Amino acid sequence: MTVAEMTLREIVRRRGVIALLLLLPLAFYLIRRDQYVGQSVRSLFIGVGWAVSTAALFSTIGARSIEPRLRLAGYRSHDLYLGRLAGLWVLGALLAAPFLLLVRFDTSGLRYGAVSLAMLCCVVIAAPLGMLVGYVLPREMEGTLLLLTAVALQMIIDPASRIAKLTPFWSSREIGTYAIDHTGTGYLVRGAVHGAVVILLMLAFVAIASSARLRRRSHLRRA
Amino acid sequence: MSVESWLWALGGELRRQGLAEEHAAAVIVDVRTHLRDSAEDPYRAFGTPERYAAAVVESLRGPVSQVRPVGPVRLRAEGISKRYGRRQVLRGVGLTVQSGQIAAIVGANGCGKSTLLRICAGLVTPDAGTVCVHGTLSYSPQEDGTVPHLLPDEHFVLVGAGQGLSRDRARAAGRDRAAQLGWRDVGTTTAGRLSGGTRQKLNLVMSTLTEPDVLLLDEPYQGFDRGAYVNLWQELWRLRDAGKAIVVVTHLLNELDQADVVLDLTEANG
Repeated sequence: MTVAEMTLREIVRRRGVIALLLLLPLAFYLIRRDQYVGQSVRSLFIGVGWAVSTAALFSTIGARSIEPRLRLAGYRSHDLYLGRLAGLWVLGALLAAPFLLLVRFDTSGLRYGAVSLAMLCCVVIAAPLGMLVGYVLPREMEGTLLLLTAVALQMIIDPASRIAKLTPFWSSREIGTYAIDHTGTGYLVRGAVHGAVVILLMLAFVAIASSARLRRRSHLRRA
Repeated sequence: MSVESWLWALGGELRRQGLAEEHAAAVIVDVRTHLRDSAEDPYRAFGTPERYAAAVVESLRGPVSQVRPVGPVRLRAEGISKRYGRRQVLRGVGLTVQSGQIAAIVGANGCGKSTLLRICAGLVTPDAGTVCVHGTLSYSPQEDGTVPHLLPDEHFVLVGAGQGLSRDRARAAGRDRAAQLGWRDVGTTTAGRLSGGTRQKLNLVMSTLTEPDVLLLDEPYQGFDRGAYVNLWQELWRLRDAGKAIVVVTHLLNELDQADVVLDLTEANG
């Protein structure tokens, strides 16, 4: 819990970053607002996903120098990545909440429960995604560019294509279609299953990457 | 006693204890600057002139040599080799440090001092060799090692929680150790906005907070003024006398007489 709390404190103090993280999803939402509101809402999901994953990226890279010291201080590696995830999920919920309210009061005729589920999928997937990028690419510039690329692909790729299922936020698009276009439950079920699988995979990759980075090296014997 | 009177008494005490005139003058300048900037009472900041002069002279000359009891081996590194690309940084290096000893790792820039320390801390894998540590271990890097947007107290809580310390105990322990380094008001400035010297004090406090058996310090005095430097060595001696094994990476040759063991990597790597 201490790691989660400090993760949250550290990010919340970056007021400029928070403002920009709120601005991007808002821009995604507003840019299509005059056209088809459904597209606005879908874009908002991607925007929130990008914002949370970027916050996770910055947090993970910022912790690179202290985490080995915390490991020596007695933390286990899963204490560190689970604590960070918990803090990022709370942040994601705080970032998403005003946008859920915005959709609720700025639109009509949507399935708002499903909109909330799609947003939840975005937040829960985005946090470990950003952490994973931070483990793999230890510089913020490269990590941010990779996340932007992922977001761009997410928006461009035809969601009905096979390759779209390999994108991390496909679940939110499917659930979003159910919520916006009032389709049958097939979209909801596919989206929920995809979301669950992606979340589990992301968590597994984060656990592996974190444990590998903070592993006890074989040359060091402790007595 | 006024500040000037205190400084005059300090100067006299430094000369009486045989410190060279140029060193005494440099100490007076540093102390005067510190007192002017901090507006602290000299007794509160440094104690009596006699006591502070003794500490300064001891830190510059080293303590009177004496046979001190040492304990069991706490760290043994053997046959450590490491290459980065084509560059052989370490070749068959060994280091043994016992409880109650301070070991200094010295050498030219780029000779592998920090790499060896990171290998001993288990942060880098060597190409060959083993490290055996008896007891708990802590590491203070040369730079970074803190979270820029967290307060010093929050760092203490974060590190202390790893050992199960309550928040109050962790804060109290951190502030106590900070005071021993002359950092009395940890304040509400986040780590990223601290001066380099103060941030390094934070690094040091974080590494000693959990009372480790083996302490690995990479140039811990970066950015320290002379007063903080003296406080650092007093704190290291206290830890050594409490039975800790301490390894300090340094490039300042005048610190050699502070250490019980000296490893010169320039020679060791051949």
